[in-house]
Amino acid sequence: MIVVRLKPLAEICPMVAHHHRVLVVGCNTCAAVSLAGGEKEVETLVAALSLASSAKHETAQFEGDVVQRQCEPEFLEDLDASGYDAILSMGCGAGVAFIAENCQLPVYPALDTMFIGVSKGFGSWQAECSACGSCVLGETAGICPITRCAKGIMNGPCGGVQDGVCELGDRDCAWVLIHDRLAAQGRDKACSIGDPKDNAAKTLCPEWDMNKGHGESR
Amino acid sequence: MRTVPTASANDTLAFGSERQRVYAPCRAKCPVYIDVPGYLMAIAEGRYTDALETVLERNPLPSVCGRVCLRPCEAGCRRCNLDEPIAIAQLKRAAADFGAYPSPVPLARLGFSAGVVGGGPAGLTAAYDLAMAGFLVTIYDAKPKLGGMLRYGIPNYRLPDYALDKDLDYILSLGIEVETDVSIGTDVTVAELRMRHDAVVVTTGLQGSRALPIPGADAPQVLAALSFLAAAACGERPALGAKVVVVGGGNVAMDVARTARRLGAREVQVVCLESSEEMPASADEVWEARQEGIKVDCSWGPTEVATEEDGVCGLDARRCTAVFDSQRRFAPQFDESETIRFAADTVIFATGQSADVAALGLELTPRGGIVIDADTMRASEPGVYAAGDVVNGPTKVIDAIADGHKVAAYVIRDLTQDTSRLEQLAEGAEALGSVPDSMKSKIEPKRRIQMEKLEFYEAVRNFEEIEQGYTEYEAAREAQRCLGCATGARLSHEKCASCLTCMRVCPHHAPMVKAGGFLYFDADMCHACGACASQCPAQAISLEGHSEEEMGIRTQRALEGAGEDTTLVFACGCTPSRPDMPGSEVRTMTTTCLLRASETTVLKALQSGAARVVFAGCVEATCRYPHARVLVEQRVSLLKDMLGQLGLEDRFIATTEAPEEDVHLR
Repeated sequence: MIVVRLKPLAEICPMVAHHHRVLVVGCNTCAAVSLAGGEKEVETLVAALSLASSAKHETAQFEGDVVQRQCEPEFLEDLDASGYDAILSMGCGAGVAFIAENCQLPVYPALDTMFIGVSKGFGSWQAECSACGSCVLGETAGICPITRCAKGIMNGPCGGVQDGVCELGDRDCAWVLIHDRLAAQGRDKACSIGDPKDNAAKTLCPEWDMNKGHGESR
Repeated sequence: MRTVPTASANDTLAFGSERQRVYAPCRAKCPVYIDVPGYLMAIAEGRYTDALETVLERNPLPSVCGRVCLRPCEAGCRRCNLDEPIAIAQLKRAAADFGAYPSPVPLARLGFSAGVVGGGPAGLTAAYDLAMAGFLVTIYDAKPKLGGMLRYGIPNYRLPDYALDKDLDYILSLGIEVETDVSIGTDVTVAELRMRHDAVVVTTGLQGSRALPIPGADAPQVLAALSFLAAAACGERPALGAKVVVVGGGNVAMDVARTARRLGAREVQVVCLESSEEMPASADEVWEARQEGIKVDCSWGPTEVATEEDGVCGLDARRCTAVFDSQRRFAPQFDESETIRFAADTVIFATGQSADVAALGLELTPRGGIVIDADTMRASEPGVYAAGDVVNGPTKVIDAIADGHKVAAYVIRDLTQDTSRLEQLAEGAEALGSVPDSMKSKIEPKRRIQMEKLEFYEAVRNFEEIEQGYTEYEAAREAQRCLGCATGARLSHEKCASCLTCMRVCPHHAPMVKAGGFLYFDADMCHACGACASQCPAQAISLEGHSEEEMGIRTQRALEGAGEDTTLVFACGCTPSRPDMPGSEVRTMTTTCLLRASETTVLKALQSGAARVVFAGCVEATCRYPHARVLVEQRVSLLKDMLGQLGLEDRFIATTEAPEEDVHLR
């Protein structure tokens, strides 16, 4: 799923500062599961913004709503934004963009979209995928070098690795993990050199329409 | 807030809902299904009026039942298997002691009128229900005051008049008319009542005492239990000899014996047919009677009241070897060779009660009770209903109350065609099972808090109430022992995002995933700690009495009329410590756990006029939900961070203090 997190209020407040009636819209799929954009977080943000407004003797109003997925046109049909002069989306970047595309109001992001990732336990997620458009996980033992290597290199490790840890110091070296797991599976590729990444797969693919067939979209 | 239903909303696999009708065993065992965990939680949070209103929803006599109920609820308490049951009845009394009785609001007048004959628990309850439903109600009673056995049977040391009057005032505040000193059948006939009212409900109870048909039983020094108790209740002092023998093994016999002690009898002896294990009197009553110096002699069958010239001199009895036959039918067997004479100046028979309603002209059972049609509760005359002990024979006060509800529901149905009350009474509920073995070690044993009582040597001197009642502090402490059975997580499948957060934060594995990614909760495992509800991003989980909305209403109430510098303290129920806020007006809202005060609740309180909010947390030693502490800490730091970013950091404070007083209660 897409992992998101709340922006600092110090960043959100100025975005909506000049609006009078703001609808805060949550998303009950990835953003809710990320504990950042469900009904609970919407209510909390509405309460915080209302408090901030009234503490400054301002009259801005904030109200909340939640849609099942901000990235679906049918779900957005249920969103009633009449009477508001701005929308603050608590969805991922796709949700923000899609609401902006579907309504005339200014739309602002309340969340930062972090990555496509997995749950590691309560309130903890790990990045696993960068949506590069040409998956290599088959050759890398299910560990994505684009995502988990700080440099996103296709042949590693680089010289920055020490004792299996990336020189950034905050993560294991993705390439050490890849080699170890491949070795454990008896398919060591230490000596083979991988092809360079086809970055065109991403840049040439602004949309994907399965109705048009594979040939045309690639 | 409006939410769009999730894809799972219409799915038939609604796990979780399948157990939403589950009642805590205490509630399931209560004949009127009082929401016991609901009112205990309110007491634990210091909300006595809320607690009282919860009790009144099902029982219009909380002050009475808080003192004299035989507590079937406590036998069901899930703490029975762990340490001791919660003092449910005594906490009901605390609700009546410290809560404010509300002003009951009846439905619009319907134009129907009902006459209730007999102002005991069944009649009072029926009158209350009928008046609430919009009936004009008159209660008729043969005695000078209402209450029936509650006033004239149960002695003042167990149920003082003021405690009964408290409930009576509440019931009568509905505008119920009262005609006392009226004997139906002699002063007024049932036919005349039928002319006055659309329905007549007979709840006259059992007013006659059964005596044993043995020689000497008609001697002037032989008294009947009920008239003796009634005289004592009216402040009279029936003439007693120095040695009193009470015949009978039930609670009435204990009441009589203990009353005789208080009236000056030097020696009081209870003689009963049953063995000590078979005695129908409750064990507490027997124990207390013994503490008051009363001797209890079991397994004796009286044969004769021995008399001399001066009157009664003793009670002769023979050994009773068995009271019941193999089919548990009453068939006493005696050993004629073993006899005894109990010296006595006065003998009081407490060997059963009988209905005394021949004058009503209704069809009666062979034992003298009123015959009713079980499907309608109607007696043999049209428009006449009967309920309570006069129909069922001797039962508990709470059974009479339940029967009062029932008869009122039938009257309402017959006259208004409204069946909703009857349906409510018929609604069954599954009781939660006992605490699973895997859970036992996770529940900290806590001793029941003993209520202050008069010393027995002191108590026998007069009729002062023995049980002194809990203090508010003791009541809250005792209520916090409640495990909150069946009040825990309730899941809305419509809202659930299947994020599994509940599973991850629950230390007891109450939430589980079913095929298809649906969550459901095992009510047996849930501690009602609220960890899951506090973290659920979709607000799909709620705890009874602690929804965001309910907490919001309570916050508003707590802040009513708040001045400029008002501090709202959310105080953890595990600690009585309250922070010192010099110069600030402090309003306090106690919650079972601080987790129940969400970020939104706090932020809204600040917006609604609180100058600052304080989280007064407990310490680990007293914490009821240790696993929740880290979640509370997270909430505190989140709130501090948010308010800091808004430049409002001084408006939220978190404290924890170790309360010394707690140590002896743990």
